[in-house]
Amino acid sequence: MKQFRSMAYPYIVWISIMIVAPMLLIMMYAFTGKGNSVATFKFTFDNFLRFFSDAIFLDVLKRSLLIALVTTVICLIIGYPTAYFIAHSDGRKRIMLILLVTIPTWINMLVRTYAWMGILQDDGIVNTVLDVIGIKNVVLLHTSFAVILGMVYNFIPFMILQIYTSLSKMDKSLIEAANDLGADNFQTFTRVIFPLSLPGVISGITLVFLPAVSSFFIPKLLGGGQYVLIGNVIENEFLTSGDWNFGSAISLIMTIIIMISMYITKKIDSGAKTEGGDEK
Amino acid sequence: MKKFIAFALSAVAAVSMLSGCGSSQGTASKTADSSKAAAGSAASSSAEPTSADSTSADSSKSGGTLKFYNWGEYVGENVISDFEKQYGVKVISEYFDSNEMMYTKLQAGDTYDVVVPSDYMIERLIKENMLQKLDKSKIPNLSSLYDGVKNLAFDPDNTYSVPYLWGSVGIVYNKNKVDKADIENEGFAVLKNTKYKGRIYMYDSERDSFMVALKNLGYSANTENDAEIQKAYEWLQEVNNTMDPVYVTDEVIDNMANGMKDIAVVYSGDAAYILSQNKDMDYYCPKEGTNIWCDSMVIPKNAENPQLATEFINYVLSYPVSYDNSETVGYASPNAEVLNAMTASDGDYANNAAYLPRSGYAKDEVFTDNEVLRQKLSELWIKVKAGK
Amino acid sequence: MRKIRLYPKIHMLIIMAFFYIPIIYTIVFSFNSSKSLTHWGGFSLKWYEKMLASSDMMSALWTTISIAVLATIVSTAVGTITAIGLSKAKPALKIYVEKSNDLPIMNPDIVTAIGLLMFFSAIGVKKGYFTMLLAHIMFCIPYVMLSVGPKLRSLDPNLADAALDLGATPWQALTKVIIPQLTPGIVSGALIAFTMSFDDFIISYFVTGNGVNNISILVYTMSKRINPSINALSTIIMLVITIVLVLVNIIPLLKKKEIKQ
Repeated sequence: MKQFRSMAYPYIVWISIMIVAPMLLIMMYAFTGKGNSVATFKFTFDNFLRFFSDAIFLDVLKRSLLIALVTTVICLIIGYPTAYFIAHSDGRKRIMLILLVTIPTWINMLVRTYAWMGILQDDGIVNTVLDVIGIKNVVLLHTSFAVILGMVYNFIPFMILQIYTSLSKMDKSLIEAANDLGADNFQTFTRVIFPLSLPGVISGITLVFLPAVSSFFIPKLLGGGQYVLIGNVIENEFLTSGDWNFGSAISLIMTIIIMISMYITKKIDSGAKTEGGDEK
Repeated sequence: MKKFIAFALSAVAAVSMLSGCGSSQGTASKTADSSKAAAGSAASSSAEPTSADSTSADSSKSGGTLKFYNWGEYVGENVISDFEKQYGVKVISEYFDSNEMMYTKLQAGDTYDVVVPSDYMIERLIKENMLQKLDKSKIPNLSSLYDGVKNLAFDPDNTYSVPYLWGSVGIVYNKNKVDKADIENEGFAVLKNTKYKGRIYMYDSERDSFMVALKNLGYSANTENDAEIQKAYEWLQEVNNTMDPVYVTDEVIDNMANGMKDIAVVYSGDAAYILSQNKDMDYYCPKEGTNIWCDSMVIPKNAENPQLATEFINYVLSYPVSYDNSETVGYASPNAEVLNAMTASDGDYANNAAYLPRSGYAKDEVFTDNEVLRQKLSELWIKVKAGK
Repeated sequence: MRKIRLYPKIHMLIIMAFFYIPIIYTIVFSFNSSKSLTHWGGFSLKWYEKMLASSDMMSALWTTISIAVLATIVSTAVGTITAIGLSKAKPALKIYVEKSNDLPIMNPDIVTAIGLLMFFSAIGVKKGYFTMLLAHIMFCIPYVMLSVGPKLRSLDPNLADAALDLGATPWQALTKVIIPQLTPGIVSGALIAFTMSFDDFIISYFVTGNGVNNISILVYTMSKRINPSINALSTIIMLVITIVLVLVNIIPLLKKKEIKQ
């Protein structure tokens, strides 16, 4: 099987050009001072110091991580059962369900977020219905609730798809074996099914947490201009302030934080594998 | 797998059929008139041109291409298509929604023929040598400029730029819910009046918000003085901490038209629209002075078709085109006759307090490009928004 | 026992309702005669007229769809093959690729966008459709690899070897043994890639030129007043998708009936 190894080589060249090279340019900005030019290369930590020395930025970072975490957990809690039910439907229904879950994502994200704005507004549908019941003037838009709702709405299909991928074509004989050995449904799930689906869960978490942390449109539209997450700060630095150096530095900081948390998550994954979730 | 491919291919086929029937109207074909007329009939009808006009219908550059870089939804319904027909050329439009976004692309070397930046950005582009001088002999319509947009500080002689649309910044307020006396006495400080807590919109733009604070404190909106800027920062922080404001940009237009909140900082053209939709709303420019802004057309140094660009600029300044622009977008035209027509008793904006910005008021200021101020504001702005 | 069977159905129903409420909202308000997103002004088709008359929107639609389809096909193929190859590669290479792949997913779009902007400017490439396509392929492949990866890891290594022992060529082992087992991962990777491409705004904005716009760029820059023509556009897309879905499901059924007869 080693001959397959060479299939990966073209891509390695590609990413070195298209991903690594631009990233190096960004890193160069992060470590230099203002002046937007290659000529004035003066290595400095100023941008990083500026970020860490200001409590406001650290607050924003904390809030971003928290919101992303909450979003991910909600996506997991709602998404896992959904993927499970889909995986256990029969053939034709399965495909329909997967498509039904995916299709909303093909409507432009901005359009869907604007729709949520209309729905949650003070004179929108939700408030109108609540008014009828007798609960008046609930402020839904421009709150953390709206932002989390928007993020969950946007990212949960990815979670569902990833978990579904793991659950489908799962070796049924393993489940039967577990049952034969006397395990009840709960034990079968926790000891066999869930561990086997863990790779899908991990990549689902990746696909939700990462974009959620760096999200910028959803907080801006559903939270209002004053709802600032780290993605908004970076966008502001690049586009409004024109301070590419500071923006690049913040971006690097975020990248490192995320890499650390992904590393921890992967450790959990391999830990679970060696424990008892061994495949064969 | 096969299903997916089949699905994808049929989707592409379906949509390309659809876009095919639409896109044929975009090219410089003269046959698309009928469908355009049907669709556009509900919209603006061009007023009659006066004799003082000159829109040359023949061009030495037949068959060329014009690359037009403009704000989103900032052009009259028929402006582009009429230009393409009259001059036999094709116009490629790209859009931006902030000066800085546009600047980023210009800096990266993208080529455009006509760009429409705002005043302070034009000043910056001039300083950084990114614009070319205009051939004013080819822009006879300059004579129809309204006095209020002449001799603006960033380009007093129209060496590099020709005004496109302009306006002021002011307060839109609900006449029924807000005490007019408060507005007149407090000016911008009404945004700090806790009577209206939770019912104000602030504009999500660093220069405009700082301008509001600086003007209310009696300082210049273009100050470089650290202490003054710091005071303005604290002014804004006070708004954040006591008033529960919502920072918006374009959402403010529809929201105020629907009466969602009672007070908002709005551009005059947007205010004109709000006032026309919602009779409860009124517009006010405070005594302490406000910002007069102007978006103008410029030709970047690396434009590929500067001759056509010059003709386009002249074309836009003409009566029917400027009328179309002003009517569709709602902002004040730089053409004096259009202004007269709009504010006349049978004009679209008769009795609209927001359409025509006040001019000649000493305390009103145009933004200048100010490196120091820019840096300070950018540092403080994100803290204003985040530090609640 | 009945209760337990009912729960999945209720769960799925609520989920689907959640997913489709904004969609239905968009569709309904695309027929709104006023520009508002909250107040109904009466039924009107004017936004559809405007949409069809707008050459900007039509060409943006074409750009969005064609790039999404192309990027998906290329990235799915390349991503799958690379993932398979990578699983047999040396650990150092694996880590290099995995970390690099994480970058576009992790970075805020603006960072990727500016990075590419600087890169394309530095090598002097004229920006337009092609650069947009390259950028889309670039950020789609990692998603495909992320989808295929888990399936690849839970693959039985013995099956491919068994196939080779039984006389299959490597190509046959690849196409008849490995890839079929990866199908769910490949399909979900393709779906995600398509979505990422379809929705992309900031990266597309900064790597495009020459008047090439996609739907997201139009929506974002035209948000001066929420333009319901965009809702009309989205409704049409929904319609096309629904029709195609129906067809894709009905045609096999019809074929079955033919065979029976």
